[in-house]
Parts: sequence; structure tokens; C-alpha cells
Amino acid sequence: MIEIKQLAKRFTVENPKKLSEQEKKDPRLKGRFFHSVQNVNFSCNTGQVLGLLGPNGAGKTTTLRMLSSALKPDSGQILIDGEDVVQNPILARQKIGFLSGSTGLYGRLSGRENIEYFGKLHGMNAQAINDKIEELAQLLDLSTFLDRRSENYSTGMKQKVSIARAVVHSPKVVVLDEPTTGLDIMATQTVIDFIQTLKVQQTPVIFSTHHLDEVKELCDTVTVIDEGTTKFNGDLDSFSALADGSLHQSFLTTIGKV
Amino acid sequence: MWLVFRKEIKELLRDRKTLFFMIALPLLLFPLIFGGVAYFSGKAIEKAQTKTLNYAIIGAENAPILSAKIAEVDDLSQVNTDLQSGNETGIKALITSETVDFVLVIPATFSDDILSVGQNTLTLYLNDAGLNMVQRRLNKIIDNIAESNRDQAFITLGISEEIQKGLLEPILVDKVSTADKRENIGEKIGGLIPYIIFILCLQGAMLPATDIGAGEKERGTLETLLISPIPRNQLVMGKFFTIAFAGVTSAMVTVGSLFVWGVVLSQGMAIELITEFMGAISAVDFLLMFAMLVPIVAIFAAVLLSMSIYAKSFKEAQGYMTPLVFIVIIPIILAMLPGIKLEGIYAWVPLMNVALAIKELIKGTMDYMALIPIFLSTTAIAGLLIAFCIYWFNREKVLFR
Repeated sequence: MIEIKQLAKRFTVENPKKLSEQEKKDPRLKGRFFHSVQNVNFSCNTGQVLGLLGPNGAGKTTTLRMLSSALKPDSGQILIDGEDVVQNPILARQKIGFLSGSTGLYGRLSGRENIEYFGKLHGMNAQAINDKIEELAQLLDLSTFLDRRSENYSTGMKQKVSIARAVVHSPKVVVLDEPTTGLDIMATQTVIDFIQTLKVQQTPVIFSTHHLDEVKELCDTVTVIDEGTTKFNGDLDSFSALADGSLHQSFLTTIGKV
Repeated sequence: MWLVFRKEIKELLRDRKTLFFMIALPLLLFPLIFGGVAYFSGKAIEKAQTKTLNYAIIGAENAPILSAKIAEVDDLSQVNTDLQSGNETGIKALITSETVDFVLVIPATFSDDILSVGQNTLTLYLNDAGLNMVQRRLNKIIDNIAESNRDQAFITLGISEEIQKGLLEPILVDKVSTADKRENIGEKIGGLIPYIIFILCLQGAMLPATDIGAGEKERGTLETLLISPIPRNQLVMGKFFTIAFAGVTSAMVTVGSLFVWGVVLSQGMAIELITEFMGAISAVDFLLMFAMLVPIVAIFAAVLLSMSIYAKSFKEAQGYMTPLVFIVIIPIILAMLPGIKLEGIYAWVPLMNVALAIKELIKGTMDYMALIPIFLSTTAIAGLLIAFCIYWFNREKVLFR
């Protein structure tokens, strides 16, 4: 179970001239600061999949980066099983498995070595890492290419190894930032299958996406954020009930574009 | 920390491009460059010495013996001319048109009898801009005749050999240098060695530095690494040691290759000179040189890592690092200037003090008390820079630009 309460994050604007036209018009720009995330709330229970929706620049990635502890929130709480991890980022890192769409592998290492490295960084012993890699190799069908250098992998192979790397330490929560963006249909299916496996294993999953068909297929709950604020929180049924049948219409309704 | 270090080194060793620049290039390229320069310059000198030269003599009849001696030489070939000695324009045109390589003008007053005419002046016209051995080759012949004329004159005057010496060189200064061979060579090459080592350390560290900072950002692996539960300072130190290690290795490989190839290429006497020279430097001095390099390499590694992690891409990182070479060169060049010694304020200036100290150690004239300011200043700066690096790695602004 993971809960996010009143999360906020602002960035200092170094050079206002470099901002894009859209950013200059954004109401979140206040003086020297850009309030990227202002008030984001959601929660995700055991065995649930939460879809995080929002237009580009809404603050999705910043929110997920705060979840992963890469960025430190200015205010708000992130509770994993009731424990606040904002004050203890190391704890967050142990409990969360994080994968972003733009993630890469160390090309000169094999897939196995990539996964091993992160297993060791998580303090696992060699035996535990080996067992876990065997398990993940079965699950994700890695065994044919696991010992080759990852620079020659196809996009799908890379994504599979990245997934394995993100969950090598058996995290309590899995967070995925646009995990299917830029992937072909087969690689996308790998990610979808994997999320479903996690769901079966009762691991809560939070993922951001622009693909509403994925939301329909996977999600139990939906959160929409726009301009750094939560605009909708609820289960999939109440989300689709916002408009007649079309999730696209529902989405546009939540951000007030209809 | 060592986990990060081991992984970075493993990646580094698998990177053919970096390995090529770090190891293969110094091993093969340096001997090729130095050997090539030595070979071609040797060729050029040899050619200048043995090439057949065309010449003309004006007033040959005034000095028949001299003319005959010159004509006897195999690789000098005479061209006849009817130019007169006063016609300087004509003589110059003859040389410019490459009809002849030189023109020798013998005055009508020329005589082998010094006692009757005094000093004889010959005029040699030549194009002296390029590499040529004209004067040297001509002097060999003329000096012989001059000496025999002089001896003849001394005999006629009845002057004893002792007095002859006195007349030729009334006062002789016998120079005895108190500097031994080591100090002498050390002064000449001692400034160059820190220059080579510093630049090589920096260059060798640069490629891995771009790779493990900006490279991680560009490949999208940095974010994943930052959210692994390893304390940030250990992450920084692991990367820092990789860069430092690469810098030292690269420098040592190059210096080693230079030394080995130097011994191989130079033969006979030069080997004795090198072994004698190296033998004069004690093991403690060698250890001190290495010890002083440690904080220097630490300074380089910390600066490079800070630049690399700030950059958004490989290209940007290289842009930041290139000017660093020029900044490093300045204190080393200053240390090479004559008159700048390892004293007072200079002993506190980082890089410069180590460059001076290495020179002193090579010369064998080190004031060991100077080690205190050297180690204090370089270690303090290295420590500060490493601390800055760790602080830098904790800045969200730096990591997510």
C-alpha cells in the first residue's frame, strides 16, 4: 500500500529567457520559481494497478521521480505501508522498483551483469541474485540473450532486462514512468504482461502513460494530474462514467478541455 | 564503493576505443613519432653532407693550390663562369637560378705567404636559409691549407711550439663544473618530465571521465543508479577512483613505453647514459615523485568528474574539459622558466610546486623541507575538490538539468 499526500515540488528558473512559450504562459511560473508539482494526492492498494494520466508537462515525471527518491519533495508525504519515506530516501530505494521509459543499460556489460550490478548495489548476496535472475529469466524469457553484451540488444530485449533490473530486489511497490513510450507492439506487450504478473503477485503498480487502451486493460484506479494538481482520483468505472463510453472524452472532461 | 569501482573498470576494459587511446596509442604512436622524426632528420642531414654541390670560383688563378684541392673533392663539381669579382648581382643571380650552390671569390692579393700579406679574406656567396653543409665542407679544405701556411710562417720566424700555443691562445680558461652529470641533465630534462606526466594523466583520465558522468546521463543509466540504495558519497568515490586509476595507468604506460623505446632506439653510449642517470636517482626519490602525483591526480579526477556530471551529453563534457589542458599547462610552463625555484610562495602553488619538486628530485638538489608545503597545499585542494564533487552529486539541479 502506497499513499501520496499533498506532494509539492518547485524548481528555480535559472534563465527566464530560455523558457518555452508554453512555459511562460503556465500559471505555475511564479517569479523565479516554477511550481512543477503543487498538490498531488493518490493512493494505491495491494494488488492494484494505478494509471497516472496527464498532458505533457503536467508534472507526472516529477511526481514519479519524487516517488523514486531521485528528487526530494518540498512538502507532502509519501507513505509506504504507513512509513514516511521522504525523510528516509534509502528506505524508499529499498522498497520501490523504478523504471523509466528513457532508461538505458550499460552497453559493454551483458544483461546478466547489468542485473547483477544492481542486485549487489541493493546489498543482495551472489546466491540470492542468481536465484532471482533465474526466476526473472523464466518469467521474462531472457535466457537466450542474457549473457550477450547488451549494446547489441533489440529494443524489446533491452526493455525486458531493464524490467528485470528494476525488480531484482523484490520491491514492495513498482513505479513505471511511461514504460511503453517509443516501444514497438511486441515490446509493449512484454511490459503489459509483466504488469499483469505483478498484479497477480499482489504488488501495487503505479505507471504513467498516454495510452488509454493500456489503462482500460490494466488499471483498477486512475489519477489524472494537470498543472501539477490532482484533477481526478477514482476507480476505472467512475473514470469512464465521466463521459459516454470514451476514455478520451473522460480524460478531456477531467482537465476541463470539453 | 569498490563495487562501483570494479564495475566501472570492467566497463572501461571492455571499451576498445578508450583502451586504444590509453594504451595502444602511447605504446605504438610515440615510438613511431620520435623514431620517425629521428629517422627523417638523420636522412636530411646525411643528404646535405653527401649531396654533390655545384660551385664556381672567381679568381682561381690567385690561389692555385686551394683551387686544385677543392677540385679534387669528389662531391664538389665546378661550373665555369666568366663573372668578375665585383659583379655581385651576377653572382647572386647565378645562385638564385640554382646553376651553382655556392660561389667562392678569391682576391688578387691572395697569397700563401702570411708574412708578406697578412690575413687573406675569401668571400663565400651561398643561400644560407636552408639546411646546408657548404661552409662546413669547404672549411675542411681551407683549414688544412690555412694551418699549413701558418706553420710555415712560424718556422720561418723560428718560434718554438710552446710560444706558438701562447700566440694562438694567450689565455686559456679551463672550466671545471661542480654540477655532476645528473644535475646537468636534470636541469635540461627535469622541467619536461612533469609536463609530460601531468598532461598524460589528464588526457588519460578524460575519456573515462566523460563516459562515467555525462555518458551515464546520455545513456539513461544515471537515474537508475541514483535511486539504488548506495550512499551518494560512495558512488562518487567509486567513480572518482576509476578516473584517477585510468589517469595514472595511462601516464605510466606512456612513460614506460617512452623509456623502453628510448633504450631500444638509442644504442651504445646512450644506454649507458640513461642507466647511469636513472641509477643516480634513489628509490626514495622515485617514491616521492609518485607520492606527489597522488594528490595531483586526485585534483584532476575531481575536477573532471564534476565537469562530466554537470554536462548533459558527451559532447558538452568534452567542451568543458578541453580548456582544462591549457589551464594545467600554465603553472607547468611557469615552473620551467629559469630563476623560478621551489622556495617561498612557489612551494605553495599547486601543480607548479610539484612540477618544481620533480625537477629538483631529478637533479638531486631537492630541499626535503619543501615537501611540507607541497603536500599540505595539494592535499588540501584535492580534499576540497572531492568534497565539492560529493556536494555536486547531491544537487538535483546538476543531475537533472
